[in-house]
Amino acid sequence: MSTLFSIVIDGVAYGMVLFTISVGLSVTMGLMRIVNLAHGGFALLGGAFTHWAMTGLGLPFLAAAPLAIAMVMLLSLPMERLLYRPIYKMGELQQVLATIGITFLIIASVNWWLGSTLQSIQLPAFMSGAVNLGLRTLPTQRVYVIIAGLLVICGLYILIERTRFGIKLRAAVDFPGTAACLGIDTSKIFLITFALGAGLAALGGILGAEILPIEAYYPLRYMVLFLTVVAVGGMGSITGSFLAALGLGILDTATRYLLPDFGTVFFYFAMILVLGIRPNGLLGKSLS
Amino acid sequence: MSHTLKTALGVIALIALAAVGYFGLADNLAFMTQVVIMMIFVLSLDYVLGYAGISTLGHAAMFGTGAYAAAIFATSVSSDPILGILAGAVAGGAIALLSGFVLMRAHGLTLLMLSIAVTEVLHELANKYSGITGGADGLSFTPGPILGRFEFDFAGHIAYIYSVCLLLLVFIKLRVLTASPFGLAARGIRESQARMRAIGTPVYWRMLLIYTFGGAFAGVAGALSAQTTALVSLSVYDFQLSAGAVLMLILGGTGQLWGAILGTMVYMTVHQIASSVDPFNWLFIIGAMVLIVVYLVPNGLMALPALLLRWRRK
Amino acid sequence: MKFPSKWALATAGLAMIQSVAMADDTVKVGIIAPFSGPFASYGQQFKDGIDVYVAEHGVMAGTHKVEFVYKDSGGPNPAGVKAATQELLIKDGVKYLGGIVFTPNALAIAPLITQTKTPTVLFNAATSIINTKSPYFLRTSMTLPQVSAPMADWAIENGIKTVVTTVTDYGPGIDAETAFTKEFTAKGGKVIDAIRMPIQTSDFGPFLQRVKSKAPNAVFAFLPGGAPAFAFSKAYSDNGLAQAGIKAIGTGDIDDETTLQGLGASGIGIITSHHYSQAHDSPENKAFLAQLHKLRPNDVSNYATIGAYDGTFLLYKMISSTDGGDAAVKSVEGMSWTSPRGPVKLDPVSRSLDQNVYIREVVKGADGKLENKEIATYKDVPDLGMPAH
Repeated sequence: MSTLFSIVIDGVAYGMVLFTISVGLSVTMGLMRIVNLAHGGFALLGGAFTHWAMTGLGLPFLAAAPLAIAMVMLLSLPMERLLYRPIYKMGELQQVLATIGITFLIIASVNWWLGSTLQSIQLPAFMSGAVNLGLRTLPTQRVYVIIAGLLVICGLYILIERTRFGIKLRAAVDFPGTAACLGIDTSKIFLITFALGAGLAALGGILGAEILPIEAYYPLRYMVLFLTVVAVGGMGSITGSFLAALGLGILDTATRYLLPDFGTVFFYFAMILVLGIRPNGLLGKSLS
Repeated sequence: MSHTLKTALGVIALIALAAVGYFGLADNLAFMTQVVIMMIFVLSLDYVLGYAGISTLGHAAMFGTGAYAAAIFATSVSSDPILGILAGAVAGGAIALLSGFVLMRAHGLTLLMLSIAVTEVLHELANKYSGITGGADGLSFTPGPILGRFEFDFAGHIAYIYSVCLLLLVFIKLRVLTASPFGLAARGIRESQARMRAIGTPVYWRMLLIYTFGGAFAGVAGALSAQTTALVSLSVYDFQLSAGAVLMLILGGTGQLWGAILGTMVYMTVHQIASSVDPFNWLFIIGAMVLIVVYLVPNGLMALPALLLRWRRK
Repeated sequence: MKFPSKWALATAGLAMIQSVAMADDTVKVGIIAPFSGPFASYGQQFKDGIDVYVAEHGVMAGTHKVEFVYKDSGGPNPAGVKAATQELLIKDGVKYLGGIVFTPNALAIAPLITQTKTPTVLFNAATSIINTKSPYFLRTSMTLPQVSAPMADWAIENGIKTVVTTVTDYGPGIDAETAFTKEFTAKGGKVIDAIRMPIQTSDFGPFLQRVKSKAPNAVFAFLPGGAPAFAFSKAYSDNGLAQAGIKAIGTGDIDDETTLQGLGASGIGIITSHHYSQAHDSPENKAFLAQLHKLRPNDVSNYATIGAYDGTFLLYKMISSTDGGDAAVKSVEGMSWTSPRGPVKLDPVSRSLDQNVYIREVVKGADGKLENKEIATYKDVPDLGMPAH
C-alpha cells in the first residue's frame, strides 16, 4: 500500500516535471505544426540565463528566473522572423534539418559562453528540502513544480479556448487562407505563439533543472524525452500532453519501484504499445 | 540513357572517386573507410526514407544489430569476414522485419518515436546481457583474412578496399531494386498511399518488405563497421547515429542514392576538418552549414546544379 | 601471403612515422578525448591539466619540443576513435598518445598501439582490464575497485553495518558494486539491497525512497560524473535521507569539483572516496592550483584534471629520456613521484598508480564554497581490479 502511495506521489511529481518541460514543445509542434527539435535549446537558454543572472548579476532566484524567461522570449522573436518563418511551408524533413541546425548553434553558443560543465541553479531556501506528507516526504521543489504545471495548463486552456487570441490562433493554424481573408494577422499570431512556446520551454528548463540539470548538451540529451511526451499525448493536444506526461511519469516511477532492472525496457515497450494501439497518440487528431 | 547504363556509369564514377581518395589522400584511409561505411548506412536509409517515405529516427537499430551479429558470429562460428557481413545483413533484416510489423502501421511523428523506442530497447538489452555483448566495455574480436587471403592491416588499406567493394555491391543492388516494379511501387507509396491501395497494392506488406531490405543493408554497414574496428560497443545503438544519418541524407537530397553519397561525403568531410581545426567549437560550423543548405537548397545539395542553372537563366 | 603483407604494411607505416618524427626534433603527442558532446567537460579538464603542466615546465622535454595534437572523440565511439588514432599515427606522426575517457575507446586502439609500440597514457579510462590488452597502456587515473574498496573499509571502521548499494546499471557501476560489496561483507558488513539504476534515469527519487524504506546505515552510490551524479545527490538530500540517519557514501564521481557547488547546502555531509580532492592540503597541490587559476581563473580541478596533469608529467619523462617505444615504457615503470594528489607510484605490473585513497566529506570551506575535505587516508592502495590482487 505504501509503495502504491509512493508510486502515485513520485509519479505525479515526475510527470508534472515532464509536463512543464514539454508543454512548450506541445505548443510549437502541436499547435503550430512545425517539427521543432530546437525546443530543448530554448529550455537550455532559460536555464543558462538563470544561472548567469544568479551567479553573474547576483540576483535572487525569484528575480533571475522571470528575467531569463523574458530574455528567451525576446530572443525568440528575431529567431522566429529570421529562422523559423522560412521553414513553416517546408516539408517535415527540412524542418528536422533546420531545427537541428538551430539546436547545434544554440549548443555551440552556450558551450562557448559558459563551458560544458553543469550550470547549477541554486533554489531559494523555501523551495529546497523536503515536505512531510505524513506517510512519507516529498521534495519541496516538486510541490512548486506541480503548482506551476497546473497553472500552466489552466492558463493555456483559457488562452486557447476562451480568448479571442485563441480563436485566431486556431483559425490561423487550421485555415490560414480563410483566416488571412478575415483580416487576422496570421504572421503576428505565429510570432506570439512561438514566443509563448519558447517562454514555456525556458520555464520548463528552469523548473526541471533539479532532475534534468542544465548543461550545454541538454537539448540533445533530452530531445527524445520531450518528443515522447508530445507523441504519446497526441499532436496538437495540450491536454493530451498533460495526460501523457502524468501517465509516463507514473509508469516510469512504477518500474523504478517494482522492476528497476528493466526500467528502461518497460518504459519504451509501453510507448510502443500505446502508439501501436493509438497511432495518433492519446488525444491526437487524425491527420489524414 | 538506359537504367543499366546509368548504373554502370555510376559504378565507374564511384570507383574513380574511391581511387582518387586512395591515392590522393593515402594518409586518411581510416577516415575515408568511416565515410564509406557511413555511405552504405545512409544509402540503406535513403531506400527506406527517400524512396518509400518511411520516416525513421531509429535506423541505428539495424546497424547495431548487424554489428553485434557480425561480432558474435566471428567469435562463435567463423571469423570469415564475408560470412560475417551476411550474418549482419540477416540480423539487420530480421530486426527490421520484427519491428516493422508494428512500425509500418504508423506514420509521421508516431513512426519517428516508435523507431527511436525500438533502438532504445535494443540498446538497453545489449547493456543488460553483457555476458553476450560485452556491455559497456564492448566486445572485441579478431576478424580473419578476407577470402582467406587479405589480412586487415595497420594502415587500413585492406579495410578501405573491402569497404569500397561492399559499397559498390550495395549501390548496384539498390539501383536494381529501386528500378524494379517493386521499387516503383515504393515511390508510389511515398507519393500517395491511398492511390496505391486503390490500384490493389498491398501497401502494408510492401512497406514491410522495403523496411526489411533497408534493414539488411543497414546491417551490412554495421557488420562492416564492427569488422574494421574489431570491436563493437553500445554506441552502435546511439540515437546520434540515427539522427546523423538522417541529417546527411537530407543534406544531400533524398530518393536518388547519389544524394546519400554526396551528403555523407560533405557532412563528414566538413566535420572532420572543422573538428581538427577546433575540437571544441566545431558544432558552430556544422550548425551553420546545415542551416545554409536548408535555406538555400531545401531539397539538398543534389538540387544545387539545377538551382544554379535556373539562376543563370533569370 | 598472410604474414608478409601484414608486416610489410605495418613496417611501411612505421617507417613513415619515423621519417616524420625525424624531420625535426619535435615530438608529437596525440590527445584523444571528448571535446564536444555530453562528456565535453572531460576534454576541458584534460586541457586544463595539460596546459598547467606546460605552463610550469615549458614546451621542451629534454631536448625535444613537445607538441600536442587534439582529437575529439565525442562519447564512447570505438570506430571513430580507432580511425582518429590511425590518422594520428600515420598522418600526424605522433609517437605518444594520451587522454581516453571510455573503456571501449581504449580497447579499440589496443592492437594499434601494440603494433606501433606507442606508449599511451590513460588520463581517465578506469577499467582494470584495459592495461592487460596492451603493454603500452599506462594509467594516471584510478580503477574503480581501487577507490571503492577503501570506502567499504572506512564504513566498517565508522560503525556502518548495513548498506544499500545503488549503482548505474552498466560495466563501471557493476565493478564498483562488486568491489564495495566484496570488501564490505568480508569485513562483516551487510548489504541489504542492491539497486542497479538504468543509465537513462533522470528522476532518482524512487530509488532513494526505496533505500529509505530499507533503513540502512548508509547508501553507497556510483554514477558516472556530471548530470546523473548531480541529480542523484540532489535527490538524496531532497528525499530527506540524511534526516532519516542514512549516510551517503560513494566514489568521488558523485560529488566531483565540477558539480560540487551546484549541490548547495544539501550536499554537506556526503562522504566519498577518491584519489584526488581539489582541497588536498599540500604544497604541490597549492602550486598546481595557483598555476591553474592564473591560466583559467574560473576553472576548477577535479580527477580528470589531475589525471591529465600527471599523465603529461609521465609523457614528458618518457619524451625527455628515451626515443619512445619499449624503452619509454620501461623508463617510467616503477617510478615514484609526488603528485598534487599525494605520493604515487606507477606499478610495474599493472601500469596503474599505487596511490593514496582519501575519504572526503563535503563541508563548507573557509571561502564559503563547498569542498571535499579529506578526513581519512588509505595509503598506497594498488589497482585492486588486477587479476593478481
